Amino acid sequence: MTFPPRTARALRPVRMIAAVLLASALLAGCTTFSGKGRDEYDRAQGEQPGTESPGEASESAKPEPPYDVRPLLQPAKKYLGVAADGAPAKMTSVEDFAKRGGKKPNLIEFYSAWGDQYEAGLVQKTWDYGALAFIAWEPFDASLKDIASGKQDEYIRSYAKSVKALNLPVAISFAHEMNGFWYPWGTKKATAAQFTAAYKHIHDLFDDEGATQVIWVWSPNVVNPMPKVQLKAYWPGDDYADWIGVIGYYAATGPSTYKTLYGPTMSQIRSFTKKPFIIAETAAQAGERKPADIKDLFEGTAKRDDVVGLVWFNFDKETDWRVNSGPLSQKAFREQAADPSFGFDVTKP
Amino acid sequence: MTDRHTPVWADDPGLRNDAHDPSYGQGQQGQGQQGQWPGEQSQDPSWSYEQQYAHQAYPAAQQREVTDSGSWRFDGRTSSYTDQRTYDTFAPYDPYATYTETEPAPTPAPVVPEPEPERPGYVLPPIQESSWAVDTGRSRLLGRLVLLCVLLIQAGLSLRLSGTAFEDEALYVLAGHYEIGNILHGTPVPGDFEGYFSGYPKLYPVLAAMVDSVAGLAGVRIVSLMFMLGATSLLYAMTRRMFDARAAIGAAALFSVVQSTVFLGNFATFDAAAVFFLALSAWIVVRTGRAPIVAVVLAAPPAILAFAIKYAAGLYLPTLVVLAVLTAYRHRGLRAPARGVLLGGAMGALLGAGYLFAGSLGGISQTTTNRAKGADTAAQLLQHSAEWGGLMFLTAVGGSLAYAIRPHMGEMPWLEQVGPGRFRRIALGVLLCGTALLAPAYQIHLQTEVSLFKHVGFGLLFAGPMAGLGISRLVGPHFRHPQLGIMLYVLTLVFGMVQAQQNYSFPDSREMTAVLRPMVDRKGTYLAEEHEVPAYYLRDVTGYAQWQGTFGMDYMDKKGKRYSGPEAYGAAVKDAKFDVIVLRGTVTPDVDTAVTDALRGNAHYRLAAVTRFTTSKGDGAYRIWVKR
Repeated sequence: MTFPPRTARALRPVRMIAAVLLASALLAGCTTFSGKGRDEYDRAQGEQPGTESPGEASESAKPEPPYDVRPLLQPAKKYLGVAADGAPAKMTSVEDFAKRGGKKPNLIEFYSAWGDQYEAGLVQKTWDYGALAFIAWEPFDASLKDIASGKQDEYIRSYAKSVKALNLPVAISFAHEMNGFWYPWGTKKATAAQFTAAYKHIHDLFDDEGATQVIWVWSPNVVNPMPKVQLKAYWPGDDYADWIGVIGYYAATGPSTYKTLYGPTMSQIRSFTKKPFIIAETAAQAGERKPADIKDLFEGTAKRDDVVGLVWFNFDKETDWRVNSGPLSQKAFREQAADPSFGFDVTKP
Repeated sequence: MTDRHTPVWADDPGLRNDAHDPSYGQGQQGQGQQGQWPGEQSQDPSWSYEQQYAHQAYPAAQQREVTDSGSWRFDGRTSSYTDQRTYDTFAPYDPYATYTETEPAPTPAPVVPEPEPERPGYVLPPIQESSWAVDTGRSRLLGRLVLLCVLLIQAGLSLRLSGTAFEDEALYVLAGHYEIGNILHGTPVPGDFEGYFSGYPKLYPVLAAMVDSVAGLAGVRIVSLMFMLGATSLLYAMTRRMFDARAAIGAAALFSVVQSTVFLGNFATFDAAAVFFLALSAWIVVRTGRAPIVAVVLAAPPAILAFAIKYAAGLYLPTLVVLAVLTAYRHRGLRAPARGVLLGGAMGALLGAGYLFAGSLGGISQTTTNRAKGADTAAQLLQHSAEWGGLMFLTAVGGSLAYAIRPHMGEMPWLEQVGPGRFRRIALGVLLCGTALLAPAYQIHLQTEVSLFKHVGFGLLFAGPMAGLGISRLVGPHFRHPQLGIMLYVLTLVFGMVQAQQNYSFPDSREMTAVLRPMVDRKGTYLAEEHEVPAYYLRDVTGYAQWQGTFGMDYMDKKGKRYSGPEAYGAAVKDAKFDVIVLRGTVTPDVDTAVTDALRGNAHYRLAAVTRFTTSKGDGAYRIWVKR
């Protein structure tokens, strides 16, 4: 059997055209279906390149907007905070404090060691109680230098992600009392530059992760014990801190008035920033002067508009700092805490 | 004796009727007298070839013989006259042919010499072939059914894309709302839309906004889908008119799956509407190809409308004019160019009227003719253009070549193969394929790739008929290689689908707008990269004028110092001029850097949220700062 000659001739250009088309298609396909092209396609589909199935969680459940902490930064009324034994894991000590002090605290401070996961459960519990969680984050196991250089980024990011995921406001004070010599991150082991670098680095990582629920507290000790240490060198900058958490106790010896205890520190800080203060740790040593100290503390705080509150260190540690160390102290505390300018509902600021 | 073939019937005894066909064997010596030549001539011993020849040339009434079908018959013996090789019925000079007639003709009336008209009043268009038969109603119905499938696939491909509003969509729809207010109530329009829009703001945006108020953005995108489906259908109709139903199906099929068509079918901007009106105009040009030349003027309004809807469509108006010349099937000589001149003149008149009505439009120069030059290289643009439209373009080139060589596939060789002359065929191919190159060429001149993936589609609309022809020639006569056509279609579809998905990838702004909603009010000033998106989604709580984009602004600080460009943003952020700042990081990198630098150490702002998104280009995040 033979084909008519015309058919055979007609086939050739068709094949040629087909071959050219196919070749050019493959040429064009080089980028569209290259690895990069496939990644682009995956991403456009809302998947991460390389993953087999689309992330169900990220697709379906859109996270709620991050908690806007701005109303908590400078509320009309003041925080009445407490750091109490076992709280907020066990709320009995806080409830005891509230009963004795006559007012429910609306800020609960607790301590978190470097390497600990973000205590989302505790923050949630605190919030459910009606208080803002205040975490003192203590870098015992990592040097400020390492943190600043990025060696701890993985941990910091996972911490930040947890903060973002919980989406509740939290005050974090990193490496408090950095101007003292007693902690491993203090003046003996680290420099001011290392401190600010580490502080900024952590803050940047949190920002990068979008953990905007944090109220950043920069928490120096009152300058009285080490007047030579200039706080300005430790200041990370106005965009890095929200509160200045001054730490100072009414001890049996040393300054015993608001003005002498906090005054020098506050005036030094006011030379470089206008950020609000919070008395991040305070208490009065048991003794005859204690009721007067309590009165002085509350009155001094109430008087200053730029102090957003105080946190009472309600521990019997080294000395009895608790409000109930004596009946007069407790009575004084009750009277002072009754001041309507202290305490408000943090969930509805 | 000659070496030619004997006609088949010559050997068929059934066909040979001696009584009716006495001429068989007539020429042979010795049989001449037995042969029954009609009339007395057969009896005439002085018979000669010359006399017979004279009979053939002038068959006399008395020599006629009645047969079933009046015709010439050949015995096919000796003449080498070429016409005998065909099965034609006309062979006036064959000495062996006999003229037969069904019935005796009446005496010929005295011939009144009628003046022959110069040209026929109307020439029927060449019959379109469809395999073994001419195009019939059935093939038209089949074609429409296939077109329906093509449109369904196109709709499916477009609708599978999804996402929140792209910057341009948000801007046009939002602007439309203000334009409606301006038209109805005379409220001033915030911003000089006419100054920087790439189309006239009182056309498409108004339509988009009207649909938006009823059906939201999805509705506006559906309107775009309708426009693109309409464009595909018009391309089908146009190609069927120019070539045949098969080419039309090919054109519609290829055009319906290229990435630009798929993309624009779910994209609420000027483009879909402009493509539709260009297609409408081109269809009218082709449709009126056999009508009086004045009818081509009908194509001018949609063409100018397309231009007004999107100025870039003006690039294709010359193509329409030349197409009008080349499709003037009935008119040769000067009347064909006259058709083009007429269309061009009508367009010019409409443009003039539009200019008087609308005034000068700064947007034309800013967005179309004098676009900011980019830094994209020609090689990159060419490569991307080839990826986006190369297959269809190559098919069109193939179709043009095939068309230039032969106007038909010759499926029915007995049909008279009339078609446009070779010059017209070549010119049509060059015109339509060349049009597909206009947008890439122009953007290479501008060195910018912005919107090129959309503009490629405008040119492919015009290359469509040639591509359709190409695919029909690839399949071959009588559907010899349907697999090639299907392969090409599927290949184009896969490319189109994947590329459309890659291009149709905008940041998901839902979370961003949800975060912004409680932060904004009617008083604040907001800086946002791609500010149109939040301005659109938050139009119920903010006004467009409150939003500042990152494409440029001037700023004067408190001391009276003037800034412009990125510095202006830096200074304004340092002065805390904005209540909210939203950056996404890739659109205007210079301004982003200036703003983030100004935010560093800035006590006025606090990072409020980081909302992440994923696009085909990578992961990104909206970063939102608020005043403390």
